[in-house]
Amino acid sequence: METLQAIFHALPAVLAWHNVLAMVVGTLAGMVVGSLPGLTATMAIAVLIPLTFSMSPLVALGIMAGIYNGAMYGGAVPAILLNVPGTPPSIVTTFDGYPLAKQGRAALALKVACWSSAIGGALSAISLMALAPPLVLVTLLFGPSEYFWLGILGMSSIAILLGKDPIKGLIAAAIGLLLGTVGSDVVTGQQRFTFGRLELIDGINLLVILTGLYAIPPAIRMIEKRYSENTERIEIKGHPDDGFFKNFKYLLPTWLRSSLIGIGVGILPATGGSMAAFLAYNEVRRTAKNPELFGKGDIRGVAAAETGNNSDNSAAMIPALVLGVPGSGVSAVILAGLLVHGLQPGPQLFRDTPDIVYGFMWQMLFTSFMLFALGGNIATRLFSQVMRLPQVILAPMIMCLTLVGIYALSNDMFNVWIMFGMGIVGYILNRLDFPLAPIVLGLVLGNMIEQNLRLTMLIHQGDLTALIASPLSKVLFGLCLILCVVPIFRRLRRAKS
Amino acid sequence: MTKPRFSLSLIAAIGLTVLSSTAAIAQNYPDHAIDVIVAFNPGGGTDVAARTIEPYIEKYLGEDLVIINKPGAGGEVGFSLLATGKKDGYTMGFINLPAMYSYSYERDTAYSPKSFTGVANLVYDPGVIVVRSDSTLKTLQDLVDYGTKNPGALPIGTSGSIGSSEHIAILGVEAATGAKFNHVPFGATAPLRTALLGGHIQVAAFNLSEATEYVKDGSMRLLGVMSDKRNAMSPDTPTFREQGVDVISGSSRGLAVSAGTDPKVVAILSAAVEKAVNDPEYLAKAKAAGVPVHYIGGADYDVFLSQVSASLDAAWAATPWSK
Repeated sequence: METLQAIFHALPAVLAWHNVLAMVVGTLAGMVVGSLPGLTATMAIAVLIPLTFSMSPLVALGIMAGIYNGAMYGGAVPAILLNVPGTPPSIVTTFDGYPLAKQGRAALALKVACWSSAIGGALSAISLMALAPPLVLVTLLFGPSEYFWLGILGMSSIAILLGKDPIKGLIAAAIGLLLGTVGSDVVTGQQRFTFGRLELIDGINLLVILTGLYAIPPAIRMIEKRYSENTERIEIKGHPDDGFFKNFKYLLPTWLRSSLIGIGVGILPATGGSMAAFLAYNEVRRTAKNPELFGKGDIRGVAAAETGNNSDNSAAMIPALVLGVPGSGVSAVILAGLLVHGLQPGPQLFRDTPDIVYGFMWQMLFTSFMLFALGGNIATRLFSQVMRLPQVILAPMIMCLTLVGIYALSNDMFNVWIMFGMGIVGYILNRLDFPLAPIVLGLVLGNMIEQNLRLTMLIHQGDLTALIASPLSKVLFGLCLILCVVPIFRRLRRAKS
Repeated sequence: MTKPRFSLSLIAAIGLTVLSSTAAIAQNYPDHAIDVIVAFNPGGGTDVAARTIEPYIEKYLGEDLVIINKPGAGGEVGFSLLATGKKDGYTMGFINLPAMYSYSYERDTAYSPKSFTGVANLVYDPGVIVVRSDSTLKTLQDLVDYGTKNPGALPIGTSGSIGSSEHIAILGVEAATGAKFNHVPFGATAPLRTALLGGHIQVAAFNLSEATEYVKDGSMRLLGVMSDKRNAMSPDTPTFREQGVDVISGSSRGLAVSAGTDPKVVAILSAAVEKAVNDPEYLAKAKAAGVPVHYIGGADYDVFLSQVSASLDAAWAATPWSK
């Protein structure tokens, strides 16, 4: 009851005009930043922090909440229209979003992405408000061995990413795992594949590889096509069946399922939006009656991916606010933003400054709703203008934007060269029909699996049974077994009949 | 006899011009914006600290500071840039100790402790060893006894990697007491703190400011502080020294310029930082954010830097922490 009172006590301040304005500005800025490959919400908020010194905390947090939610949706725009993910999690959006666009249903895909982002974000914000303190207990259940199994569980979703030729898919995953090993080994301090370069000691930034693999090859192909064949134009045109209520019933199960997964992943630090999107997509596809439609342009695929990554947003703030342990890169910089305003995360945050904490939660909720308004028709119309640009102009524009974004990561050309290198690798792999998504999955999860396995082994001095010592790790281990073994049985049974 | 006198006066003349020109530099200094290298990502601890104090230094220096993030190799990229940067006083950088020095033992670095001239220290955060509040280990002595009776059996998590201040401190405890522990580097404070709260690891070593809130709300207990005297953030916690283990360790963060910068320029910078650190508005902000501000300026800072360097030398000689 007391909590409920505190929650509603925070509401009036959030609705003051300057705070509403802050949220609108943040959401719009987030959508733009998210839609530019190479620029992320993390970067935008980090750059914003010093500018917020003079603002009141709620205004600053309103902008941050807007950027956070806006960027996660913005990433879907180029993913659908150009097959270039604007943010890491929107890779999953490309699976069905781009095929939809090629079928002339880009407008629908964009709308589904918008609705799904809004719904995922809103449900996540509600979970943050209602359940933050108790949900933290779940976070605490996860130690190194549990994270290890969680990583393995994520890896099992690789099956859906393998594409037509599983061998090529597995090779791609191995490339991802290999790239993930670059850098100094946390446990021994040994340097791996750094070739004496200082810039590689911390490993290669995921964003550099991702942008290289996903943004450069399409740009090269655009130019190529210009000289070889007629370019395929993506039209953004509305369709009478595109209404929200017409699709509501079809998408509702996907929204609910993906939100739950996104929230679950969000409260676990060290996972993040990409993992939420991958797992949600995998789960929705696995439980669908007609999984063969996925990957060819099923709106449920777009919905799963976007709900998954947006419902991770507020949930990732739960361990961040309550424990001071950020659940994702963005929540880490938001934490820094809080610190600058003298708000130290931890249990005392809820006790001492409830108006600001709950105000921020409201802002996460309101900015999710704003996606409906700002991301719907207005944004679609705006982005369709970009698509009218001739591809010879669009291609260098993409390259320039990625260059600026990647340079800004460390104010250094080194990452830019790696990005272009990865771009060429990505182009070649593309031409050879290698799927790129397994590379990213390997990269995202490889480190998590390795580090947690080694931590578990160190703590328990090499005792392998420690991996399944706790009840939770037994459950996760069981889930991994089921996911890997059941399809084999099914195939055997089908072969018999 | 005229020749040598001529050359003498020439030398004197050159000397005078050089002197007067440096004096001129110091007089007009600073006349344009100063670059400040932060060797970590935007939004990280050092970056936030830098951006929090930036406006106050600007206020007293009367010139803009431009923060440039140069992350990489745990800060080494930025530190190297600072060491090899211009010595005109327009490039300053944040340095983190002992991390910055300890890289030099593990690999060839582009700098040595002699490559920097300290401007001022801003933050000092002593190391601590913490347990969950339900742990059977009540004091540092319990921990040492356990480590002596069961050598290498007790895992202690640290927030850094190999060669972090916590790792070196644990090696110091082992050397001082004969106990043996099992060092588990988590790489960062956040996952370690959750693992400790969740009971996945029993003992952890990180910095005092990262533990105080959890000690206050009763979820963690401090076994001791690795500082020479008790710390104001937690005055009831005994130091390691009080408990018979002579280990002093902590992380500090300060400002430095490349060695060889005009001492007058360093003095101007140092004075501005001193005023900034004592600005009541800044102090209030730092206190609210839980930043353990600890100003050391001028010659004292140089002494402090060489102490850190000497104690690392001693630790490396006793127990090299990396091959």
